[in-house]
Amino acid sequence: MSITAETAKQHANDPAVLCCRAEAGVIIEPANLEDPAIFDELVDSGLLNLDGCLKIGQVLGAKLTKTSDSLSPLTADNMEGYKDSVEEEAAPVEEAAAPVEEAAAPVAAAPVATTAKVAGGVLKIHIGEGKDIDLSIPVGALGEGGSEVVEVAPAATATAAAPVAAPTAETLATEGKVIRSLTRKHFAITEVKRGPETKIEGTVLTIREGIEADVIADSDLVKDFHLEVVTPAQYHTYSETIMDVQPIATKEGDAKIGQGVTRVIDGAIMMLSGTDEGGVQIGEFGSSEGYMDENIMWGRPGCPDKGEIFIKGNIVVQAKTNMERRGPMAAHTAFDIVTQEIREALKKLEEDLVVDTEEFTQVRHPGQKKVVICKEIMGQGAMHDNFILPVEPCGILGARANVDLGNLPVCMSPLEVLDGCIHALTCIGPASKEMTRHYWREPLVLEALADPEIDLCGVIFVGSPQINAEKFYVSERLGQTVEMMDVDGAFVTTEGFGNNHIDFASHHEQIGMRGVPVVGLSYCAVQGALVVGNKYMTAMVDNNKSEAGIENEVLGNNTLCHEDAVRALEMLKTQMAGEAIKPAEKKWNPNVKASNLEAIEEAIGTKVDVVENEQALPLSQKRIDKGYN
Amino acid sequence: MNDERLKYGDRIIYMEGICVDVDDCSISVDLKGRLGYFKAPKRMFVCDTEPKIGQEFGWHMSFPEQLGAEIHEKYVSNLEKERRKQAEMSARLKKEEE
Repeated sequence: MSITAETAKQHANDPAVLCCRAEAGVIIEPANLEDPAIFDELVDSGLLNLDGCLKIGQVLGAKLTKTSDSLSPLTADNMEGYKDSVEEEAAPVEEAAAPVEEAAAPVAAAPVATTAKVAGGVLKIHIGEGKDIDLSIPVGALGEGGSEVVEVAPAATATAAAPVAAPTAETLATEGKVIRSLTRKHFAITEVKRGPETKIEGTVLTIREGIEADVIADSDLVKDFHLEVVTPAQYHTYSETIMDVQPIATKEGDAKIGQGVTRVIDGAIMMLSGTDEGGVQIGEFGSSEGYMDENIMWGRPGCPDKGEIFIKGNIVVQAKTNMERRGPMAAHTAFDIVTQEIREALKKLEEDLVVDTEEFTQVRHPGQKKVVICKEIMGQGAMHDNFILPVEPCGILGARANVDLGNLPVCMSPLEVLDGCIHALTCIGPASKEMTRHYWREPLVLEALADPEIDLCGVIFVGSPQINAEKFYVSERLGQTVEMMDVDGAFVTTEGFGNNHIDFASHHEQIGMRGVPVVGLSYCAVQGALVVGNKYMTAMVDNNKSEAGIENEVLGNNTLCHEDAVRALEMLKTQMAGEAIKPAEKKWNPNVKASNLEAIEEAIGTKVDVVENEQALPLSQKRIDKGYN
Repeated sequence: MNDERLKYGDRIIYMEGICVDVDDCSISVDLKGRLGYFKAPKRMFVCDTEPKIGQEFGWHMSFPEQLGAEIHEKYVSNLEKERRKQAEMSARLKKEEE
């Protein structure tokens, strides 16, 4: 396919190859040339040999001397009048279609405004970072090619220099504008047992015997329910596919999600699995069951932590509804009856049982670059859905399914996210799905919220519908929403992989075409390689942690972690400062991540801890069989 | 990377099939030429319009190659557990219906 003049300019330093047959004597223009993006594959498969091939910047305007077929490289043998070298103004900006990234990380780059000499007719002003900058440019100076020196206003220099002197969290936080705060009070649970009523005494949680009947009575679709308490000693037991992991949390008083006080239980979590009456798992797509200690990546934001007690419910829904939307919805809704009863007990606890208090403050930093996080969530239907904004953290009541909301963008405060505004029905693909607990501990939101060098304005959730037309519909709305926010930078994240990468790419385009730098985060690696790419997808962070770059069926293994959030933040800061991100390598290469982290560590002077992957788990036979050791 | 174990991984062929079932989670496809059937999560299908029974789908695929002769007991045991559970639950369901 021929290329445009714009593409030719971007690829001036890439090989020039004919896109279709051309007669001798033709003057080469962009329309004669093939898009260099496809060359790697052609070379790999032996269809193209680029030895001695001239560059696009050299051949434009030159004459073809021999009639040549399509995909013929233009060389000194078949061209005349070509340039010896590519002119320098052509900037080699490459499109990153592959899911790899490279962060240049001049984090410590001092926000200096460089002025400003009019030299050789070119006025150059580089401002790395700064605020309240006033530029005064004498009108005559530009026309004359001149002799005058343009100065940055003294006041501006002073303010621009300020962050250099004091970029500490304390000073910037005090400068910032506090919007609201959220308090998390932690209550420890060390034992979970069954008894006549649901109550918490000290650190012992008792769950009412017979609560199963209430769960079953909740819906005609729920046919059976078993509640099981799994202690750490029982981790090495067989479990069916884990549908969801949820924290047990409740609001104090009338406080809404995202503000006031939230009580949360430490040491125990809710875990859901389910089948239909025929014993077929909800959302059945092959096996990922097995021993829990071999199939859970402990400590991932969405996963249980080692040592926690699982309050594990197995729901049986009406036959054949396991693949219908109402099946998983009924399972989640019914299971929440158990959680709600524990929440009620949690509300009654005395303050002296609080073991830890966390304070989250949403501070805006008006002087800093404004940033928004766009989180793409599944919205194709059934368990590819999420309940948004329940009354209780991670609950069901009061929430709306994002599929029912047309998957359109919904704006949240970062504190709403951390306070359980999402109850995830969670998709298939255990390693890369974001479960309900993931949002409760969302690393990118936590990291961006705590960073005084940026002004996090909020989080937008946008669903991923099944049909392309709908995907582009919601994506355009996302672009418009971001445009109105006047942000300087945006993150786009997605869970899982598949057709959601089509909207993921479109979100980049919609945001990028508005001149906003964008950094993407997704599991990609080998199996999740992006379906499509575009020229705005230049900065990508791959959430992969698995050794082989695959969906390895270990719960939560390839989800967004602290280390990914750090990389993404530094990448976005780099982009917002106008620095380039190096283009991706063609094939997935895990070393890119390591070198990114090294660059960041060097720049910020502290070590970024990297989480373990499946190699840290006791080896299941499954993985021994796959050749891991 | 495990694909190094494939001997014919680059033999990519164009396939077509007919959508024979759509539910809220998945799409099922009969491969043309009586070459089998598969069912996969909706998110693995790219659709310009609403997927419906009777529509054609096309994709590239290669030949699944055996990666070794060993039988993996873990998988066999999981399958067996799954089969037993389904048999028991189906029997109970049938009994309830009667």
